[in-house]
Amino acid sequence: MATEAVGGETPTLFLRKATGLVRGWSVRDSLIYACLATNFVTLGIYEFTFAGPAFPKGQLLTSVVISGIWVSFLVIAYAGLIVTIPRAGGDYVWQTRILGSGLGFVMAATGWWFILWLWAPIYGNILSVQFFQPIWATLKWTWPGGGYAWFGTKNGVFIVTVITIVIAGFLVSLGMGGYARIQKWCFIGGLVGFAVVVGLLLFNSHASFVSSFNYEAHKLFGVNNAYNATNHAAAKAGYTTTPFGFGPLGPTMLLVPAMMFFILWPNWGATLYGEIRGASDFRRVFSGMFFGLWITVILTVIFFLVMAKTVGWGFYQNLNSLDYNLTPQFGIWPYPFLFAGWLVHNTAFQVILLLVLSLWFFGWVGTLFLSSTRVIFAAAFDRVLPDRAAEVSEKRKVPFWSLILMLAPAVILGAIYAYSATFRTYTLDATLVIAVTYLFSAIAVVLLPFIKKDLWRASPASRIKVFGVQIVPVSGVITIGLLVYNLVMWLWKDQYFVNSHDSLLYMAGMYVLAIVLYVVARLVRRRQGIDLGLINKEIPVE
Amino acid sequence: MKVFFATDIHGSEVCWRKFLNAAAFYKADMVVLGGDVTGKVMVPIVDHGGHWKVTVRGQEYTLDSQQALEDIKTQIRNAGSYPALVTPDELQELSREEGAVDRRFTVEMTQSLDRWLDMADGKLRGGEIPCILNGGNDDIWEIDDIIEQSPCVSFAEGKLLDLDGFWMVSMGWTNPTPWDTFREAPEPELAAKIEAVVSQVPDLGRAIFNFHAPPYGTGLDEAPALDATLRPIHGGAVMKPVGSTAVRDAITKHQPMLSVHGHIHESRGVKKMGRTLAINPGSVYGDGVLQGAVLDLNVKKAKVTRYLLVNG
Repeated sequence: MATEAVGGETPTLFLRKATGLVRGWSVRDSLIYACLATNFVTLGIYEFTFAGPAFPKGQLLTSVVISGIWVSFLVIAYAGLIVTIPRAGGDYVWQTRILGSGLGFVMAATGWWFILWLWAPIYGNILSVQFFQPIWATLKWTWPGGGYAWFGTKNGVFIVTVITIVIAGFLVSLGMGGYARIQKWCFIGGLVGFAVVVGLLLFNSHASFVSSFNYEAHKLFGVNNAYNATNHAAAKAGYTTTPFGFGPLGPTMLLVPAMMFFILWPNWGATLYGEIRGASDFRRVFSGMFFGLWITVILTVIFFLVMAKTVGWGFYQNLNSLDYNLTPQFGIWPYPFLFAGWLVHNTAFQVILLLVLSLWFFGWVGTLFLSSTRVIFAAAFDRVLPDRAAEVSEKRKVPFWSLILMLAPAVILGAIYAYSATFRTYTLDATLVIAVTYLFSAIAVVLLPFIKKDLWRASPASRIKVFGVQIVPVSGVITIGLLVYNLVMWLWKDQYFVNSHDSLLYMAGMYVLAIVLYVVARLVRRRQGIDLGLINKEIPVE
Repeated sequence: MKVFFATDIHGSEVCWRKFLNAAAFYKADMVVLGGDVTGKVMVPIVDHGGHWKVTVRGQEYTLDSQQALEDIKTQIRNAGSYPALVTPDELQELSREEGAVDRRFTVEMTQSLDRWLDMADGKLRGGEIPCILNGGNDDIWEIDDIIEQSPCVSFAEGKLLDLDGFWMVSMGWTNPTPWDTFREAPEPELAAKIEAVVSQVPDLGRAIFNFHAPPYGTGLDEAPALDATLRPIHGGAVMKPVGSTAVRDAITKHQPMLSVHGHIHESRGVKKMGRTLAINPGSVYGDGVLQGAVLDLNVKKAKVTRYLLVNG
């Protein structure tokens, strides 16, 4: 038998060659997944349009850095869970094993399944405002009726949502292998596109931008002196910008819950981790998510700096405020990269730049359903969902039923989102419900050393210490602080649009649906002679 | 008849103890362990005369008492590793002398299995609760004789067993892996081995296939895709089917009532293949959790009436 000694001249262990002994994986791949999940283009820039005007006295720059530091503790807590219980299914598996089957199912079903139905139209809207509308506007296409404006109509929003769902479903059906390859190239292409934008903004002056903006706005939208017109319109609406800077801290902290819309997801791939582990896994798992998160933060900071330098911070915020007040300049979402492209007066260049930057979307859109299918599988194997939910078609290797469970409700909610303005304000519910799920995983990581003592003792995470203190449970406590702070702010402050009566009812409905599903499953399985309570009961050792 | 099936415990003593208690815990009439009983890791504990030094999961310990030594041995065994007591000179020999580690591994594995079977004798009431074991691709050949000689455990490898109403055929061999392990054979050879044992089954409608390798492309065989250096690609998130086509074809052709598998730890799942219910309960032996399947078999109807995947 082939063996390997580990530990240099004085070996500390011997490994024999056996199935599954693999080498550590490259951090780069999980970094790309984490970076695309905390997508500063599709989610970040989209969110800044809302966050800046909602809290005009706060500083986006500082809030992003504070959010990055705080979310880093979530990364440590999740890395601890991943290396301790490395299972496909992530939060569902951890919570059912540590906190109990019922609670685990309700939290995972709401946070990784039901709420993603709502993310489908949000993704659709982002595709519309960052891809279809700017390209149609740049090319001055008039089909369908109304040209680019059509994508903002109810029908346009719905159709683009359906397109998004189809693309996401297709990417899931490719499997992780095919999708990972697409992700890698999209990430590289997206970075190249962003570098071009940064170069344009860095090497052009403010005056040059103003001139280009006025020129292209007139050419494409027929608006004269658009730069000044934008500033006047914002001032007329009563909006006053805070100059670009770092403080004050109080109003800036109000921006942190809004930043969660894009920065809370470095652990999005946590449901995908299989059983691969080894002594150094904590470092690898942590590094992938941590550097993915901080690349996002750094790209965001660079974006803010070049925007402030060349576009003008006040002007950028004025553009955002007009959109926030539902009177967007040119009737189009203020996509900063569209305006940056205007620095080159060439339609082909502008369109190619938009296409390259859309790779941030296409590399990311598959994350919409990929994790959900893993959670559905895990629940089906636990007999909480019908067996069929975990079926994969033999011919095409497509998880048909789990995709149906994602796609069908997503299409219905997409229609409601498109045709009901009220429903659109529930966007931040999408963050809140997942944050609640994360909260219970953070509680699980804190309780882990007490509830599963042997498991914790055996985990590489238990050996990560700073000044002798185990850092993973401490990070769990700090993560609880982060999530509770955000939940309180979302529910307390009207500006987040979460605490409305209808919004709360919508969220409560999802929790009720999950509880009903679980109770029905328990009853049905009991009638079949299956005790679901046995699933996680530990067999005595002695 | 209620059967508890688990697999791939890879030397984890805590999982073995749980396996022995599973019959009482799940009220099962029989327990079956589907191969890969032996561990993959040996941890040297260096005797410095009066104290011992050992590194466990990256942390170095100096042990001053016999009790501390026993505690660390238990900890190592529970994680699926073998504690090997050595002098500093023996450790140097293990590092330098070709084949020395292999020989020591074999000694530790066989001694450990002996101890396990002694434990089984007490727990299974001297064979009153049927207990079936077979090999897996990672198991050395030396274990076969040791299990054969146990009075309370039936060694099932390559055999047809009569289970009072059902027929079980077992096969620990798998299709080739990148690690070139003990019981591997190319697909055609594996198919011939399977046919040889399946052809002995008097009634395939009442057959249970206990094959270590899962059927190819069924979702029970998804393992992380590796590059040429055995490094998982795309952060270990990209999975690919690595099961056996011979096993899949045998199930498709013979349609046994039940087919139980292991081998691919991360691919816990259930698959209906025509009439056959195929199950891989997966394994997380390193966590000290015994994953398994509790199966209710109806003798009259010759079918699996209920199943539940558990994390015991």
